[in-house]
Amino acid sequence: MVSFKTKGPYFKLYSWLPVIILFISVLNEFDLNYLNLDYFSFNFPFILIFFFTLKDFRHFDYLFVFLCGLINDTVVGFPLGISSLSYILICIATSYFRNITIRPNPIRDWFYFLFIVGLINSINYSVLSLFFLYNLILMDYLVNTFFTFLFYILFVSVFKYYLKGLND
Amino acid sequence: MASSRDDFVIAIRSAFLKKSTQQKFSLLTLVFLSVFTILLSSLDFKIIRYIKIGINEMVYRSSFVVSIPENFIKNRFLDIKDYTTFFNEYKNNKKELNKLKSQNTNFEIVQYENRELKELINDYVLSSDKILAKIIVDRDSPFLKSIIINKGSKDNIKIGTNIFDQNYLVGRVIEVNYKTARVLLLSDLNSNVPVTISPQNIQAIITGNGKSQGQIKYIKEGVLDQFSKQGIIYTSGTGAIFKSGIPVGELEIIEDSNSVKYNVEFYSDFSQLKYVFADVGAKSVLENLTSGENENQKESIEPMEAKLKILENEIKIFEEVNTKLKEENDYLKTNINNLNDQISTQKKEISSHKESINKTHINKQELEFLRLNLDHGHKCRRSFFNSKGFSVGSDKYKNCVLNKGRKTDG
Repeated sequence: MVSFKTKGPYFKLYSWLPVIILFISVLNEFDLNYLNLDYFSFNFPFILIFFFTLKDFRHFDYLFVFLCGLINDTVVGFPLGISSLSYILICIATSYFRNITIRPNPIRDWFYFLFIVGLINSINYSVLSLFFLYNLILMDYLVNTFFTFLFYILFVSVFKYYLKGLND
Repeated sequence: MASSRDDFVIAIRSAFLKKSTQQKFSLLTLVFLSVFTILLSSLDFKIIRYIKIGINEMVYRSSFVVSIPENFIKNRFLDIKDYTTFFNEYKNNKKELNKLKSQNTNFEIVQYENRELKELINDYVLSSDKILAKIIVDRDSPFLKSIIINKGSKDNIKIGTNIFDQNYLVGRVIEVNYKTARVLLLSDLNSNVPVTISPQNIQAIITGNGKSQGQIKYIKEGVLDQFSKQGIIYTSGTGAIFKSGIPVGELEIIEDSNSVKYNVEFYSDFSQLKYVFADVGAKSVLENLTSGENENQKESIEPMEAKLKILENEIKIFEEVNTKLKEENDYLKTNINNLNDQISTQKKEISSHKESINKTHINKQELEFLRLNLDHGHKCRRSFFNSKGFSVGSDKYKNCVLNKGRKTDG
């Protein structure tokens, strides 16, 4: 179990770890969004942003999320601002969900995540194909949404350990 | 009912506007900022372009640095994989090398011939000036297939510059920064390449399928049946986006029970690219000629003058063609005369032959007459005992001999 008795530089680094991972995941070539397998891809930044803005929003600055979106667009080659908008929409959804939730339920979170990811991918697809005239495969988006939804529950169990360490 | 609507409004308002602890911006501000960025990025103002170039340079370099550990692991893994298959590959390579060496000579001859023919028809003969570029970011996305290279406008890279892996086409530049550029790979859905499919010489356009292959799109109806397996695909040069004659890949025909698919297996494996070549110096002979002639003249040439020069060149070519045609005409005329002479002599020969044949025929008839005359001459000759006979030498006598005697009436 990870625990920090003093709130020194290691604790600060530990508390910023999700943001650092988010930056690395959007900058790194090794894209979990695409593992070069047919009909398999998932969006790791979506899972990370959704979970941490829902559970630990104090250490997850929205400005950094916005910047990560810009970086992702630059690296992937999308028009600037598309990923930022997607990420910020996730933040809005989690903020709203947090406000209306009295007793958190992981299964409800999970299905709410599916709805949000589906909605955001739809917006993404529509904007890119209608306004920017990109040729995109709808099936890729559907597969991406499905696997992001499936993997959410796996990553949540890992992230929970992290949160436990942070709160201890 | 009213209270639940109020709760919803409060929750929404709180989600959008409330700045939580340690949050510097409200989400509504960031949404507006995102939309504003999208709108700005779609505009093509000079200042926005420079800002974008700045962001791109910074992010690409950062991405390269962040990817170093992962690339290191990936490269070591590939090295180990290479070592395990080293010996077998060496054997195969040796065989292939010998084969290629023999083929290379033929190709050189064909290339030389091709160049000569192009010059003859005054086509664009492209001279290549390729520069080596390193791939600094190769982040595959399920939605876009592109790579970032470490050469930009500083190295004369322009939008549309052709990118190669050895001699195979990889893609073209779609975004240029100062020291970096983005290359749209052929496997991308948005990539369209005009190609020729040999040996049938069918013109088509291929697009990427978003994975690692290409597919044939926009082809004339009815020619699909003519395709043969392992047809070679190379650029046709139509539209002047890509140079002509660059090898792209091989045709792959996949037959299902319901349909037939025509895919393109690219020669280059885009996932294994480390270095590529950018063709920065593609110039036509026509341009070279114009620039060579104008070295002593003003640096900037009026477009009308350039057009006139082209027309003058065209006239020269026409004149040359004309003289060649005249020469050919004269040669053909003399040939015709010679042939006419030969025909007349042949005719003479034929008539003499005919005469001799006729003579022989007559001789044969006479010989027959003499033979019959010996046997039946006494029946036809007029004499004391044969008062009804004919006088020798007359036509009636001859007919009588040929009829083997006189025919009795009744």
